[in-house]
Amino acid sequence: MDAVLELRDVHTFIGSFHILKGVSFVVQEGSLTALLGRNGAGKTTTLRTIMGLWPAVQGSIRFLGEELRGRPTYEIAALGIGYVPEHRAIFRSLTVEENLRLAERRRGDLARKADWIFHLFPDLKGNLKKPAGLLSGGQQQMLAIARALVPDNRLLLIDEPSEGLAPILVEQVMATIHRLREEMPILLVEQNFYAVHHLADRYILMEDGQVVRSGPMAELLMDREGLQRYLGVMV
Amino acid sequence: MGLILLALIGLPAFFLPLPVWASVLLSGLTLAALVFLVAAGLSLIFGLMDVINFAHGTLFMLGAYLGWTVYQNPRLLLNVAPLFLALGAGIRFGRILSGRMPMPRALSGFGMVGFGAMAFWNHNLGKLVAFGSTVPGGAIPTPLAQEPLGLVFARMAAMTVAGLCGGWGMERTRSGDYSRSWGVPAGLLLLGVLMLSGREPIERWILESPADLRFLLAIWAGALAGGALGAWMEATLIRPLYARPIYQVLLTLGLSYVGTELVRVVWGPGNYAPLPRPSLFAAPCLASSVGEWLRQGCASFNVLGRPFPTYRLLIIGVGVAMWAGIGLLLRWTRIGIAVRAAVEDREMVEALGIPVRRLFTGVFAMGSALAALGGVVATPFLGLSPAMGLEFLLQAFIAVIIGGMGHYGGAAVGAFLVGLARAFGDYLVTVGITLPGLTEAIRFSPAIARASTVLLMAVILLLRPSGLFGQKTG
Repeated sequence: MDAVLELRDVHTFIGSFHILKGVSFVVQEGSLTALLGRNGAGKTTTLRTIMGLWPAVQGSIRFLGEELRGRPTYEIAALGIGYVPEHRAIFRSLTVEENLRLAERRRGDLARKADWIFHLFPDLKGNLKKPAGLLSGGQQQMLAIARALVPDNRLLLIDEPSEGLAPILVEQVMATIHRLREEMPILLVEQNFYAVHHLADRYILMEDGQVVRSGPMAELLMDREGLQRYLGVMV
Repeated sequence: MGLILLALIGLPAFFLPLPVWASVLLSGLTLAALVFLVAAGLSLIFGLMDVINFAHGTLFMLGAYLGWTVYQNPRLLLNVAPLFLALGAGIRFGRILSGRMPMPRALSGFGMVGFGAMAFWNHNLGKLVAFGSTVPGGAIPTPLAQEPLGLVFARMAAMTVAGLCGGWGMERTRSGDYSRSWGVPAGLLLLGVLMLSGREPIERWILESPADLRFLLAIWAGALAGGALGAWMEATLIRPLYARPIYQVLLTLGLSYVGTELVRVVWGPGNYAPLPRPSLFAAPCLASSVGEWLRQGCASFNVLGRPFPTYRLLIIGVGVAMWAGIGLLLRWTRIGIAVRAAVEDREMVEALGIPVRRLFTGVFAMGSALAALGGVVATPFLGLSPAMGLEFLLQAFIAVIIGGMGHYGGAAVGAFLVGLARAFGDYLVTVGITLPGLTEAIRFSPAIARASTVLLMAVILLLRPSGLFGQKTG
């Protein structure tokens, strides 16, 4: 299968802290890849580095054959990457509709996809005129994902969608993500192993700024020792 | 909040006769409109970029001076502006070169100062600043005061080289933000050459056109120049300092002083009397209805039995139109949505594929253009003085603080309150209030009029520490 996104030996510093110490991995076309690891392993930094929000000082990040390193964030996004950051970074003072409209890359994107988006997220449809800050936590997460679906993206980066949500909502969000995998490849950062282990078909395991293991999810499920060592998970 | 507003507007109505109250209210609105034109940009720029632009009043003042000059003495502009265009073009050329080969810092400094001095050596600036000889409709002054075309071209060349030296020696920015194209500096240079070589026909055309057309031209020229200056300021001076707020304060404060001194050098330290009003506001009659005013172009308007200058209605109209126009822009257009979103979270706007940098430059340019527009519109009402920039900056700051830093609607309400407070303050000082049982009116000292807006701010901040519409964290 073809690689959509390929990181090779990526190093990122935040201030004087060496956070990513040579990260290399591949996200394949048609896959839902889970980026796993403990708190502080560098998962969020990896996504931010891909988006150009932190500069990678070394290495290469290729997306559909284009080098991303050194490009400004807006160009990277415009190449076709939808980014759903942690803490659901929706614009709270804007209405739901304005949030979605802002994500348009070409005129008419929203109108064209409205049916599909509201089919996936029926809750949003009734709240279009409401300030996004007044939505419930689950709805805000839905909006953050919906926003990434408005333009024609070729890859989704989703950071910790389950964070701060009630278990029933986590299930809902994950079910939606599961449906999205048929549309485009997804790189999903998640701390909650149980929320993703039946969802993802590939995994990347990070520890201390490096990738320690990667492969098909089925392999990780068999790897009791690895799960315990890197994620503290007992299977 | 609505109560405070009502109280401020309505309370004086109890102890002032209605016609007096109405005309004071209109005076207040006039001032409010001008303060708003400065405060709007200040507030948008702060909200979006967290930059407190102390040079914003200077843009108001420069707009006024530029508009005035286009109207009264285009010769000054046509002879001096090309030199500054050449400097800008030279700096851009130099920066392009600096990307190819380095130049010793010391040499660059010497070159800039040396050629700059050469460009202004024995310049006849003083003779050009003759506003008296170019009264509207009067004779066009003999071309004696102008230097020969060749000499001015030589000065322009020296200015280009000065800029080139300066730009060449500048530190290279790592991200390579500035455009490396030759088009922009070439365009600047071409504009300068066109202005210079066409200086006589252009001057004649401007001075011979009807006064109203000249005034419109002055408005456009002032606003466009203000916008261009703002864009230039953001892209070259402020952009490298986004990470260093204290430096921004020093920079913009410094720019405001440079601007004021530059005005003193080019236009002289004195004040100028107001520009003649456009014909719609100039005829010596007192209109009692809107139709009469529009037909005869009366200078004053009958407001409940008291005359009120019609030109001030234009200022109020411009203020209201700009307030509504920008409000609609922010509310409905995609750019407006992006601006509001970027106030909340710049990174996320960028991650949606929108170049926030360009948004910054655009908003800075628009805010600057508004301030400059306010300056031009104010000249037939206030005239010119080198201190007008700081005066309006202060009032605009008070308006922005009252309304809540970075809140657009708040800036409008703040400007409204500042204008009213000042108008009532002025009224209490010049006329005073007569209380029953007293033969003489109680008048306040003139200091009260100036302090009125600050007092208002103090009261409002005591009640709401972050301004009327401000967020708690602001």
